[in-house]
Amino acid sequence: MNENRYSAKFKAVDALLITLMILPIIFGMMLYVLFTPPAEGIAIEGSRIFFTINMPLQPLPITESQVNSWIVIVSVFFLCLYLTHGLSATHPTKRQHIVEWGIEQTKKLVSDNMGEFFDSFAPFVAAIMVLSAFSSLLTLVGLYPPTSDLNVVGGWALLVFVLITYYKCKCGFLHYVKSFAEPVAFLTPLNLIGEIATPVSMAFRHYGNILSGSVISVLVAAALQTLSSMIFGRLPGFLGEFPFLQIGLPAVLSVYFDIFSGLLQAFIFAMLTMLYIASGFPEEDYKEKLKRQAASH
Amino acid sequence: MQSSEVISINIWQIIISICNLLILFILLKKFLYKPVQNMLKQRQDIIDKSIESAKQADKEAQSSKKLYEEKLRGADDEAAEIISEAKNKAQRKSDKIVASAKDKADDIVNRAKADAELEVRKAQSQIKHEITEVSTLLSEKILEREINSDDHKKLIDSFIENLGENDD
Repeated sequence: MNENRYSAKFKAVDALLITLMILPIIFGMMLYVLFTPPAEGIAIEGSRIFFTINMPLQPLPITESQVNSWIVIVSVFFLCLYLTHGLSATHPTKRQHIVEWGIEQTKKLVSDNMGEFFDSFAPFVAAIMVLSAFSSLLTLVGLYPPTSDLNVVGGWALLVFVLITYYKCKCGFLHYVKSFAEPVAFLTPLNLIGEIATPVSMAFRHYGNILSGSVISVLVAAALQTLSSMIFGRLPGFLGEFPFLQIGLPAVLSVYFDIFSGLLQAFIFAMLTMLYIASGFPEEDYKEKLKRQAASH
Repeated sequence: MQSSEVISINIWQIIISICNLLILFILLKKFLYKPVQNMLKQRQDIIDKSIESAKQADKEAQSSKKLYEEKLRGADDEAAEIISEAKNKAQRKSDKIVASAKDKADDIVNRAKADAELEVRKAQSQIKHEITEVSTLLSEKILEREINSDDHKKLIDSFIENLGENDD
């Protein structure tokens, strides 16, 4: 194993995996360059539609957010292959230490927040975090972040809602229905609203944060350009057209909105997923039910 | 090129997004968590095995240590026995040598004693003879006559015998 790691074949596979990891991003950037017309003024709009497929109920537009999601998935897939390439029980490499650390961390996070019953949720929570974080980070290479599309984040929230409901129904459907009339019967409508509000709030929080980030970035950039042309507009030639004031501040905003906010929202979304699923699951009742089943057999 | 609205809801896009998340979940589970978990399990096995073999080796070392200690003790005993036996043998030999030497010395002393006695007796008889002769001569001279040699001898002998008895 060990001598194999320094062989030319091993290094070639490594290089191939890294290339395959980067290629989708380059492909996305090329698509963006080819299909985006030069901007005219300030434009705040959703993702670009490449083409539309006719489907029952509603036509399906294949947009930038879909394509960028797929780019993230393919890149992450090759990243996984790269990270697990040359795993060794006795001679761990640097990248293996990183992988082990990450996996230990997600497992610990899940078992701390959800309890032992949900230990198998670690890859799911990691998938939410990775997809959300990398989608938001796509703005760093100038691509449209899929997380600022309501449909994308809404889909994730819907899936989480389905999981919450599934675990609430673990003790039987009647138990689930009854849980709405607690602690007092007349609170039922409020409980219902709260139940529906969960996925909606999750979706809108994530989507709103990312979208507002890009909106603010665009607005600030446009304002700075206007200000710049007002102050330096009198200068001759190129000096008059160059937006000097756009140097600096947009970069700071980008660090905040693209990196910090994107990672934070990914973390928040994953945390909320864990907390909602774990808190909705009636663990005590479920254990009692299992005990009763064991007793009856 | 068209753009979608900033806030728009499309069922198919939502379904695609759900599928994307599920696909990534499966990919992560299959290509990241499973291999790492297998590797960790393998490592655990290796650790367990080496601990087990270390315990085994320790046990073996203990038992062989006991064995060697026993052997060493046996060797000590044997050495003590050999030494004591050798000592006994030497003692016996020395005793024998000393005894034989004593015997020889006694023998020599006895012989010397006998020799001495013989000498003494020889000397006595010689002295007796000389005294006899001297007394004969003296008495001849005193008496001026020659006594019968035999009578004379008898006389002297009795005299000397009396003398010796009185002396002792």
